[in-house]
Amino acid sequence: MDTDPIVEVRGLTKIYRQGETNIVALNQVTVGIQPGEFVVLMGPSGSGKSTLLHLIAGIDRPTSGDVLVRGINVAALNESRLAEWRNRNVGFVFQSFNLIPVLTAAENVELPLLLTGLNAKRRREHVAAALDLVGLTERARHLPRQLSGGQEQRVAIARALVTDPLLVVADEPTGNLDAKSAHDVLGILQSLSREAGKTVIMVTHDPKAAAFGSRQLHLEKGEIVA
Amino acid sequence: MTILGFIRKNALRNRRRALLSVGSVAVSLFLLVTLMTLIRELTIPPEDVGASLRLVVRNKVSLAQPLPYKQLSLLDRIPGVVAVTPFTFFGGNYRDEKVTSFAQFAVDPVRFTNVFVESRSSPGQIAAWIANRTGCLVGMDTMRRYDMKVGDKLKLTGTFYPCDLELKIEGTYQGSVDDRTVFFHHKYLDELTGDPGSVGTWWIRVAAADASGDVVSAINRTFQNTSAEVRAESERSFQMSFVSMWGNIQVLIESICSVVVFTLMLVTVSTMSMAIRERFRELAILKAIGFRRREIFTFILAESFGLAALGGLIGIGGAALFWGLLDVQKLSNGFLVYFEVVPRTMARAALVAALLGVVSAIGPSLAVARTSVVEGLKTLD
Ligand SMILES: Nc1ncnc2c1ncn2[C@@H]1O[C@H](COP(=O)(O)OP(=O)(O)OP(=O)(O)O)[C@@H](O)[C@H]1O
Ligand SMILES: [Mg+2]
Repeated sequence: MDTDPIVEVRGLTKIYRQGETNIVALNQVTVGIQPGEFVVLMGPSGSGKSTLLHLIAGIDRPTSGDVLVRGINVAALNESRLAEWRNRNVGFVFQSFNLIPVLTAAENVELPLLLTGLNAKRRREHVAAALDLVGLTERARHLPRQLSGGQEQRVAIARALVTDPLLVVADEPTGNLDAKSAHDVLGILQSLSREAGKTVIMVTHDPKAAAFGSRQLHLEKGEIVA
Repeated sequence: MTILGFIRKNALRNRRRALLSVGSVAVSLFLLVTLMTLIRELTIPPEDVGASLRLVVRNKVSLAQPLPYKQLSLLDRIPGVVAVTPFTFFGGNYRDEKVTSFAQFAVDPVRFTNVFVESRSSPGQIAAWIANRTGCLVGMDTMRRYDMKVGDKLKLTGTFYPCDLELKIEGTYQGSVDDRTVFFHHKYLDELTGDPGSVGTWWIRVAAADASGDVVSAINRTFQNTSAEVRAESERSFQMSFVSMWGNIQVLIESICSVVVFTLMLVTVSTMSMAIRERFRELAILKAIGFRRREIFTFILAESFGLAALGGLIGIGGAALFWGLLDVQKLSNGFLVYFEVVPRTMARAALVAALLGVVSAIGPSLAVARTSVVEGLKTLD
């Protein structure tokens, strides 16, 4: 792959100060990610996987170093511009408690669209398309508590997709799921990168899950080792 | 879904809590409106036109000290004085009542009608009253309350006067500040008490309101260095000196109001911060997907404002309706006359509700603003 990287991480460092001691969560990480890649971040607990994911997705600020997404220096944006940038460019899937419990599946998916200028009709179309993609059209009117864990996670993926973002980031999206549901979720993420050309970055502990990715990055003590 | 729909769903996510917080705001504001109305009732100065044109002259030493009858001819001659009547409190009890709901005053009937020009009566009844030395004029409120008719006997037992009155109702009036009072002939009182040649107070009508200040000083000057020095003042300030006997009660009621507001503030602030703290993780997710601080602040503000406004509407509207429909005068045995929930009172209570809504949104909003997305994601529900 010789195209320009969509994500360029350069000398990225994150240090947490805890009283007297400094915890180096990420140490001078440099890596490039190409469009359409399905990158899997692996490594032992505490190695800095989540930290790296958060910094790339613009929900945390580095101590030093840069994250460039499509040439935009994410860390340089102010709070409100950054929020806007995330809304347009990043879709999030977390391990659990992802959805707003009082909203139906469709309403949860619609949430990020409320910040766009789209009218109600267009929003409904986008929501329907996203739910169709994750195979949950029939469940649109269900509340999260009426869905299985795997279905909830698929709704979260639909919400991550609905704004048609450049990046989809997922932190242990299958951590709480049974094998079958995990397989479904991973299959969807894989097809996102393969068929829709989305760039997907996923953190996982599970080697079987990692096998769905197109590339694996191994972190150890805040550094990329492979 | 719209933003408003989202806010509504959030506010109602814990129905019981929403109901309880709306309920506590409603009950507290009902109480607040009631107390404010009570204060207003107790401190209301007579606002009618006649009242500002009237002066009250009393003994400088104290209200309990009488004034000599011979002052009348001097008062009559003071420039700006249109009419003067003796005005002596009888304080009798009706039937076997311990405290009677209406006051009775001995007056000079002819002079009286020239001083209290705003009361409406039929001329025939006034003439009959003037002609009958033991006749009396009774306010319509008292007539209605005791189911009296013109021509009835009205017997009053003296409390500090050693005599009883046996009056005949010759007429009625209405349209005064307080349509409860009974007026009767001063001559009749003099007769029963052996004519001591004294009166309780003088009530005076002046030619023009803006000249009343001059008349007041002229009266005070006239009786300087006499055996009965006087204090003249406007009817309003005279009434207010009675009301200030309520001063302590007023302070008490006002402090109850403050406690109500303060407690309500604590309740709504803690309810709201509980409601938001439970949702920290969700709010972090909202932030992650692009909602900015100001949008989140709007959500929180709208939610707490909405709950406070709904509670306020029920409490304030409920109070206005309740006290409007209730016959307070009857229920309080005439102690409370109007007990009207005026727009000003409602507006002040509404302001309290609005402030509650805003104040209880501040804490949670700051907490949410201070928490980064990553921190918020780590909090477990
Ligand atoms: N807010 C924080 N304050 C202090 N240290 C932190 C904080 N957040 C993370 N760390 C530390 O940074 C390091 C990297 O954390 P991170 O969450 O990125 O690990 P991880 O690889 O995602 O681990 P896991 O697989 O357990 O999720 C850890 O040592 C962690 O203790
Ligand atoms: Mg992690």
